[in-house]
Amino acid sequence: MAIKIALAGNPNSGKTTLFNALTGSNQFVGNWPGVTVEKKEGKLKGNKNVVITDLPGIYSLSPYTLEEVVARNYLINERPDAILNIVDGTNLERNLYLSTQLMELGIPVIMAVNMMDVVDKNGDRIYTDKLSKKLGCEVVEISALKGTGIQKAAEKAVAVANSKNVTVPVHTFAPEVESVLDAVEAKLGSNIDDNQKRFFAIKLLEKDDKISTQMKSVPDVTKEIDEIETKMDDDTESIITNERYVYISSIIDECSTKNSKGKLTISDKIDRIVTNRFLALPIFALVMFIVYYVSVTTVGTWVTDWTNDGLFGESWRFFGTDVPGIPMLIGNLLDAIGVAPWLEGLILDGIVAGVGAVLGFVPQMLVLFIFLGFLEGCGYMARVAFIMDRIFRKFGLSGKSFIPMLIGSGCGVPGIMASRTIENERDRRMTIMTTTFIPCGAKLPIIGLIAGALFNGAPWVAPSAYFVGIAAIICSGIILKKTKLFAGDPAPFVMELPAYHLPTVGNVLRSMWERGWSFIKKAGTIILLSTIFVWFTSYFGWIDGKFRMLDVLELDHSILAKIGNVFAWVFTPLGWGDWRSAVAAITGLVAKENVVGTFGILYGFAEVGEEGNEIWGSLAGSMTQIAAYSFLVFNLLCAPCFAAMGAIKREMNSTKWFWTAVGYQTILAYVVSLCVYQVGTFITTGKFGAGMVAAIILIIGFIYLLVRPYKESTTFNVKLKGASQSK
Amino acid sequence: MGTVIVGAVLLGVVAIIIRKLVRDKKSGKSLQCGVDCRNCGGHCER
Repeated sequence: MAIKIALAGNPNSGKTTLFNALTGSNQFVGNWPGVTVEKKEGKLKGNKNVVITDLPGIYSLSPYTLEEVVARNYLINERPDAILNIVDGTNLERNLYLSTQLMELGIPVIMAVNMMDVVDKNGDRIYTDKLSKKLGCEVVEISALKGTGIQKAAEKAVAVANSKNVTVPVHTFAPEVESVLDAVEAKLGSNIDDNQKRFFAIKLLEKDDKISTQMKSVPDVTKEIDEIETKMDDDTESIITNERYVYISSIIDECSTKNSKGKLTISDKIDRIVTNRFLALPIFALVMFIVYYVSVTTVGTWVTDWTNDGLFGESWRFFGTDVPGIPMLIGNLLDAIGVAPWLEGLILDGIVAGVGAVLGFVPQMLVLFIFLGFLEGCGYMARVAFIMDRIFRKFGLSGKSFIPMLIGSGCGVPGIMASRTIENERDRRMTIMTTTFIPCGAKLPIIGLIAGALFNGAPWVAPSAYFVGIAAIICSGIILKKTKLFAGDPAPFVMELPAYHLPTVGNVLRSMWERGWSFIKKAGTIILLSTIFVWFTSYFGWIDGKFRMLDVLELDHSILAKIGNVFAWVFTPLGWGDWRSAVAAITGLVAKENVVGTFGILYGFAEVGEEGNEIWGSLAGSMTQIAAYSFLVFNLLCAPCFAAMGAIKREMNSTKWFWTAVGYQTILAYVVSLCVYQVGTFITTGKFGAGMVAAIILIIGFIYLLVRPYKESTTFNVKLKGASQSK
Repeated sequence: MGTVIVGAVLLGVVAIIIRKLVRDKKSGKSLQCGVDCRNCGGHCER
């Protein structure tokens, strides 16, 4: 039978980095607490009989959030053969709080003190031999990032798991507490394993309301609780917490020395600037502007242009030689083997045009993912959550809501899932509703297309997409918080700011590749199937009552045109009531990349990049720049792809809330796009029509919803049986 | 002949993709988020 080893520790202590190093996995690593919200399993490299489980980070075994429940329930119910407790060496005191609890679980424990490279660099010392004696378990020094000591830690964990020697807690509480614990343990009976009795007894004394779900029968310990609370004049949870910290303090003094007490670290000095009350937001805005500008408009575009004009164009130069582009190569091959025109059309005008249009944006996406990987890895994004807390709090959300949005910049699905770290159900729902406003990787091709083909690479377009998302979140927060559904104070936000460190090149590249590869795989599966559907429905139709394959100039008679024309009028007030744009937006519901893929087919893809004016001239001719921006805004804010909608449904766990979220997103997208188009058109052309009147009404309504005072209910209505309504 | 061969290859590719998507869906993985649960820790496997 396989040996199970669980990695447990505080958030951001390096569990996932260690997990990746031990198992060879590529799990996502970020330098902020709460990256892992679900347990992950992998086999130990070199010993496939050992299964390692990476648990979400927890501060204690008293869970408050969903992912903390995941970690505790795993340790109690699955009972791994050993726990490898990862402790952040730079924050020893706080990390040992969880360690003292893990040792009460009746499972063999090995402690790995991580970030020893940073501890040494700071000139601090941790005497692991003394720590081992004091705690009653083996202690190993490691640096998960540098890979030092990790093999030794794994070997020791396997050895202790094989020995089945349960770690017995060395620490004891005050005699009064111990005698009460003995009494509670006696009440637990045979339902609880002997090794776990101490843990359950402590949890019962702490009045942990979730522990009863893990027990077959819950003994009444009210008498014991009253006894100890009277004796020690405090509540039991505080008594036990205090006892633990007294014990930890005594260990810390003997087992470690700090060189830098009272001095400002480099991280502190950087934080003085980047989290400064006045500078924080401008710095954040500048950073994100640079990230999107460089990714979409400069470096990313150079490579994307080569991909679109060369690789997916006519030809590209390789060491002075002209190499034909992929469409040319495939076209020549199909001609040579005498393939029927319809099949050649399907492959070239459908699959190559659609998938190629999407793949053309991979370079831009990879550059963006490098930036995001770096910002996440170095610790800056954790500061952004702190900075955003100040703004979010004003409209009723906490900085914790920014973490899902941060993750959502890669893919909306894990972003929505990350909302589990939010304890307050109201805030969690609001975060789920707003997370997908942040442009995910799949929306980047739409941004790149609009910025490049319709705005000639104007530097403001791509960054503005990110800020539109942020603005939508803030405005939604203000508006929704004033409704009965979301009213209430935001939950307090406490988050430790990890020390800055330069992420390894390997980690940044891995983060980029993992995200990028997912995108490429999607292009080869769901996007490819979609392009076949779009090609067939757009290149076949009825002309003079006869169903046949259509020429590129006859696409207005296609099946897709007929379908698109049914609902295209809905988008006319937004400036893109053409059936092609309407269909592109709708196919984006399958996957957002489909928007570009569909345009690729309908406008005959050759060059979708910045320089693609020749082919995209027909696209540019079908909509003005204002309409194009309205199209971009709609696709950024409207209901996300089906995968993300599925995630919303799962996380909301309610059909009503699911439809509320999707409906809100779509209505907001429609209203904002309409206002962008109507007001933009009025400013640029002076046209004033019914659409502009509607836009003015909507803007006034929007401003009213933003500024209307929040009224706390002063009456409480209750319906009593057999009585008239009471107040 | 070329049409038959290329058509058969294309049909085969489409069949493989659909089979993979259906299998992934049955095993609880998401179809659209890259069918790669490593990035998000297999959230959709619930």
